[in-house]
Amino acid sequence: MSDLLIEILAEEIPAGVLPQARTELLQGLAAALKEQRINGTFFIHSTSRRLVVIARDLPEAQDDMVAETTGPPASAAYDAAGKPTKAAEGFARSQGVAVEDLLVKATTKGDYCTARRLVAGRPTPEVVAEVLPPILTKMSFPRMMRWGDGSFVWVRPVHSLVALFDGAVIDLSLFGVEAGRMTHGHRTLAPGRLIIVGVQDYLQKLRSSFVEPDFAVRRRQLVERAEALAAEVGGHPGHDQALFDTWTHLVECPGLVRGTFDPRFLALPEEILVTTMRHHQKVLPVRDGEGILTPHFLAVADQAGDPKGLIARGNEWVLNARFADARFFFEDDSKTRLEDRVERLAALSFQEKLGDYLKKTTRLERLSEELAELLGLPEEKPEASRAARLLKADLVTGMVGEFPELQGIVGGLYARKEGEAEEVWQAVYDQYRPATAEDEVPRTEAGGIVALADRLDTLAGFFGLGLVPTGSKDPYALRRSALGVVKILLDKGWHLDLASAVGKALAQHDGLPRAAGEVVPELVTFLLDRLRFLLDRRGHRADEIEAVLTTDCRDVVDAAERVAAVSAIRGQADFGPLSTAFKRVQNILAQAGEGTGEPDPEKLTEDAERQLASDYLQARELIDELVTQRSYGEALQVMASLGPSLDRFFTEVLVMAPDPEVRANRFALLRSMRDQFSRVARFSEIQS
Amino acid sequence: MDFQTLILKLSSYWASKGCLLEQPYDQEVGAGTMHPATFLRVLGPEPWRAAYVQPSRRPADGRYGQNPFRLVKHYQYQVVIKPSPDDIQDLYVDSLRALGVDPKEHDLRFEEDNWESPTLGAWGVGWQVLLDGMEITQFTYFQQAGGLDLKPITAEITYGLERLTMFLAKKESVFEIDWAPGVPYGEVRKQEEFEISKYGFELADPQLLWLLFERYEAESARCLAAKVPLAAYDLALKCSHLFNLLDARGAVSATDRVAVIKRVRDLAVKCARGYVASREALGFPLLRKAGEPFQGSDATVEEPLLGSPTPLPEEEPFGQEPGDTRPVA
Repeated sequence: MSDLLIEILAEEIPAGVLPQARTELLQGLAAALKEQRINGTFFIHSTSRRLVVIARDLPEAQDDMVAETTGPPASAAYDAAGKPTKAAEGFARSQGVAVEDLLVKATTKGDYCTARRLVAGRPTPEVVAEVLPPILTKMSFPRMMRWGDGSFVWVRPVHSLVALFDGAVIDLSLFGVEAGRMTHGHRTLAPGRLIIVGVQDYLQKLRSSFVEPDFAVRRRQLVERAEALAAEVGGHPGHDQALFDTWTHLVECPGLVRGTFDPRFLALPEEILVTTMRHHQKVLPVRDGEGILTPHFLAVADQAGDPKGLIARGNEWVLNARFADARFFFEDDSKTRLEDRVERLAALSFQEKLGDYLKKTTRLERLSEELAELLGLPEEKPEASRAARLLKADLVTGMVGEFPELQGIVGGLYARKEGEAEEVWQAVYDQYRPATAEDEVPRTEAGGIVALADRLDTLAGFFGLGLVPTGSKDPYALRRSALGVVKILLDKGWHLDLASAVGKALAQHDGLPRAAGEVVPELVTFLLDRLRFLLDRRGHRADEIEAVLTTDCRDVVDAAERVAAVSAIRGQADFGPLSTAFKRVQNILAQAGEGTGEPDPEKLTEDAERQLASDYLQARELIDELVTQRSYGEALQVMASLGPSLDRFFTEVLVMAPDPEVRANRFALLRSMRDQFSRVARFSEIQS
Repeated sequence: MDFQTLILKLSSYWASKGCLLEQPYDQEVGAGTMHPATFLRVLGPEPWRAAYVQPSRRPADGRYGQNPFRLVKHYQYQVVIKPSPDDIQDLYVDSLRALGVDPKEHDLRFEEDNWESPTLGAWGVGWQVLLDGMEITQFTYFQQAGGLDLKPITAEITYGLERLTMFLAKKESVFEIDWAPGVPYGEVRKQEEFEISKYGFELADPQLLWLLFERYEAESARCLAAKVPLAAYDLALKCSHLFNLLDARGAVSATDRVAVIKRVRDLAVKCARGYVASREALGFPLLRKAGEPFQGSDATVEEPLLGSPTPLPEEEPFGQEPGDTRPVA
């Protein structure tokens, strides 16, 4: 069996694209060779500068293959005497077989002349040379570039290409580089050329040139080293999987150093320390047994060691400088209370036509109180409106200027420091939660209220201006705001009438060009779209969601409860016929057109319809009661119990009776049932 | 290592690699990229190699000389080479050796950092270069400038001179580094930082700045119409700086911002097009072969006119501190 080695040596490939690039190259090459009848075992390796594929157990060539080609119909290929005609001879010539070797095969269209020939398998390296270039050149990177004379496009400039099959160079070229057997070691530790004779030789030479090509090996070494270095100072490095992955992608030689910062910086809020370390410097804080930050940190280095301590010292210097910068802002900010910053928000524009952040603050104070009222939480009004007052004040602090990703958190920390009540500072701290569909919502009720108010104010303002997201364009991240509203309501279990809440939010804005009558339904629909998205992520099926969201939905918690009830009942035996029957109901009523009026039992003529009406009218009151109590599961059970009588009705009764009064009465019965059932879901939407 | 020695070493090094030593542009700019030696020279087919110091002004970064890391005006060392050579990263690493940094003893990493300038209609792809965790250089392959796709591609290397000096000298404050031996940076610049911060944040008259912006914008447009794009570009740079001042002064609302940036970009785009047209009319003079007389626009490059290495000055070899006897790498 044979082996294959491919190495692309490039300038540093962004850590963020390497996972996808590895998958694309590995799967792309394995699949392309498989399609060419070449199977083997494939491995992918990568470093910050290399993508490597190693394949073992490959055949030297494709298997030989018998190819069959269909030619002219037998009737045209042979004359009455069974002698080959000119057509048969021409076909045989074109296929490179002797005319006497042609076969006749029966097909559905009749007998056809067929050529069968042995196709010799092509050598594997030849096939690799053919399939590899398009895989590499078509790899999808979020940002491509040109270099040098500008002839080639890839994620970063490509320097060399090793392509060896059983140690022999494969004849191919890519990005203007001829494949060969030459590569380089580590950029600074062993930059010389390496001449590669085969797979084992490659791995050995790289490793002795300070390059570990195997991601898993580098990562394991980093984790072990992190644990050992942290243990030396009595701490542990935690389980920051994402940072270990990033570190591993950033290096060829997995080195780690431990540094120490000035312990006086530990007086700064932990959030600021961790953000500086983790996000700005990509270093890992060391925590003690209780999980408390120590003045130690770990930094990755593309280096075998740090005998003079230069790398640790450099990282310490940078981190101390960054902390000093943060402390400067922290101390400078402490000179002014958040309360006194609120007026300064007048200088910060929220949106040209929606005014500045001071105006927004005033709107949020009022809206938070209105929402507390609508939610039946009037006792939350003082905390919510205080939190709303301080909510945006951190936007005019130096700290948020420096750490924009800590917006809200900085405000919360400052509010706590200034002695605001716990509910208030936590509400400020949590205001941007949830940031994603998986994120936690604000801890407190006041926090939930101001977070809703903030998002509804933004949504109402932008929709009121007609700045509505279209397609993939959502420059103001309004979908995320709407998702936040829905998620907070769902997770808190808050029943909020969306139209009323949106109406209150709109009422806080002055001079919006669009009328509330137009904006409210549009924005409610927009919010329900986010509900659709969230329910889908929770694993509900699309038809269940549609069955509920196509009814009158004013409250996302209620809608979610109804979807859950539909999900739970749909598997039951009596539910399938009911949904089929309701499709008929829907069709009939669509033909009949909308109408009004109660069914009149006196005017019912057939047994089957009398039974349906009697069953239904009895059930109706019970359904009313159950729906009012939001016992949707039970309500659905009662509805499902009407399935047999509905079926009998459709079997025995002709709805389109010639007598218009009889007909109208039947429509009224079906309409009443549909409307009653639609208080939970539209059964006609459910796919059986 | 002091500030001016760092500059001298970088200049000697890059001159030895065939770079023309340009000089700082005589106008306020936000970055070395805005110097015509970068922004305009990256356009079109002509080869180019230049290195220069560029004082760069960012009024919003002003801290009245009170913050140890923030300055309104800082100095960048800018290197541009077109087309980007295959060994550009090695050349860069050698420049660090020339500063006395032995990369074998340090952690040197290139981490993705792409660059975009909406006001110049320009973007590029590259890295920030980290030395022991400190960002010391921006490394960019220019892809587009003035809205024009570039071919060949220019490599741009921008060293932050104060930061690099602070790091090499392990000083806690920019004002403590030596500009020249025994002369602290703070003595040369601290008062200026205070005064230009005060101007930018407190004194600048937004009404006047807006008026100037409009006048310079109109003047730039007039120059474009008269087909003098280099003069138009000077005036566009004035607009760019005025915008930065207005922004620092808090006189630009979030929505105005987008519109004003677009006005500056429109000028930059027109200057770029005008510049390419005028170089083309001249037959792209830098395309002629080294040592040959001008041949016209279809001449091809074998050895660029710029790029013949300058010998190293004898008295100060690179990579050696006084008393260091190691061989030059």
